[in-house]
Amino acid sequence: MTLKTHFAEHRRFWIGLGSVVFFLCAWELILTYVFPVNPFFFTKPSLIAAAFREQVQGAKLWHDLAISSQAFIWGFSFAVIVGIPVGLVMGWRRRVEYSLDPFLTALYASPLIALAPLFIIVFGVGVLGKAALVFLLSVFPFIFNTFAGVKSTDSLLINVIRSFGGREKDLYLKVILPSTIPYIIAGARLAIGRGLVGIIVGEFYAASEGIGFAISQAGDTYRLPEMFVGIIILSLIAVVLTEIMRKLEITAAPWRASDEVR
Amino acid sequence: MKADKFFAEHESFIFGTGFILLLLVLWESVPLWYTLPKGMALFFTTPSKIAVAFYELLRNGEIEKHFYVSAIAFLAGFGLSVVVGLPLGLLMGRSRTLEDLLDPYITAANATPRIVFLPLLILWFGIGIWSKILIVFAGAVFPLLINTYVGVKNVNRVLVNVVRSFGASEWQLMKIVVLPNSVPYIIAGLRLAIGRAILGVVVGEFFGSSQGLGYMIASAATNYKVDVVFVGVGIFMALSVILTLAVKQLESRLASWRPETAKTF
Repeated sequence: MTLKTHFAEHRRFWIGLGSVVFFLCAWELILTYVFPVNPFFFTKPSLIAAAFREQVQGAKLWHDLAISSQAFIWGFSFAVIVGIPVGLVMGWRRRVEYSLDPFLTALYASPLIALAPLFIIVFGVGVLGKAALVFLLSVFPFIFNTFAGVKSTDSLLINVIRSFGGREKDLYLKVILPSTIPYIIAGARLAIGRGLVGIIVGEFYAASEGIGFAISQAGDTYRLPEMFVGIIILSLIAVVLTEIMRKLEITAAPWRASDEVR
Repeated sequence: MKADKFFAEHESFIFGTGFILLLLVLWESVPLWYTLPKGMALFFTTPSKIAVAFYELLRNGEIEKHFYVSAIAFLAGFGLSVVVGLPLGLLMGRSRTLEDLLDPYITAANATPRIVFLPLLILWFGIGIWSKILIVFAGAVFPLLINTYVGVKNVNRVLVNVVRSFGASEWQLMKIVVLPNSVPYIIAGLRLAIGRAILGVVVGEFFGSSQGLGYMIASAATNYKVDVVFVGVGIFMALSVILTLAVKQLESRLASWRPETAKTF
């Protein structure tokens, strides 16, 4: 009985787990007994697990991750530093909004990743080129979410500050910025995804180290298990970062969590 | 007085276009007031040179050729993602078991930038059109699927119960209540999916390709033809903006009641 209620309560988890376990077992068994693996074109979970163990113990994977995260962190930090102030001013100053909105919207809607080859050639294959790419891709969610946050600020609060003789600075720091924070966190979640795309494409295009390079090199040399290890690690990082942002979002603004369309 | 009124009415348009024009003029005039160092000059181009390059490429049929290849990859991949994403999203919204079964994969795949699968797809499907179609599909299918599913989940319970009480079958329920109610979500999903699909086309053609606009950009960059790079980027920009605006138009017509949310591309 208790087992039954436990299952009913955690139904989602158990069915999900069962589905993943079944999938992995089927993959392994089919490739072992039904269609024997051609290791150049396909691989199976046991081989991936072995490669995973080997990679985690070695130094190369950690070095690649360090290189990639360095570029990511630089680009992302600059996106925060530039994006939030631009969004604040755009939301608050009507004429700044009029001037910047069409231009930035066009840039946001367009696949700026198309500039990747140019960026890599101009800024080099090192950290700088990738960081610039990450910045370019992830700055727009910050700008537009901050902008939307400012637009939705309660005008009553603004009037209160004004009535009590608050200055422009007080308006920004005491009302606008705090009420914008949930939007900024939602923007950060989008920016993470876009920034990761920047890193990966930059490293696919031209690099000598980094996790994207490791994946594409493993592909070029038909080492499929290693390629899957890279993909899985990247997925894990993406899922963890996204979930952290989602949790933060729910903490910062519980009322917004439900009407979100991913 | 009249000029004042005109200005006030069209203020947003004047500032918007004015800013873009200002940027273009500034960009064009850079060589006049600043001599670039030799290394930099190689990477620099001006709007007028880009326009000339665009005209040249248009005249010799280069753009048409590449555009055709990219368009096929886009349409096929996008079409495939609609064909798969919509029905699966509807089913997942209606069946809790299916939802629980697929949830782990969809959550993981949605959080991961799908572009990471490109080397795998190239390995499996070669450098022809199929790896591009599939990378477009991988990018576009998840926003569509997830938005459809969220839309189905958010359908008003009361409406569902009313239709059920009058003895509707699951199929009728889908047609009368569920589908119409999820339309705004589906359209929002389409908008996101367009962006992902174009991303897939661009990056898919960067690697192991000999045709398409993405290839045109990548090969121009390796040959330091910066103006051609910008022509390609400009074409992608124009296409994305046009498609996004078209879907927005559709959205505002079909779902004007839905609350405005922050821009998400």
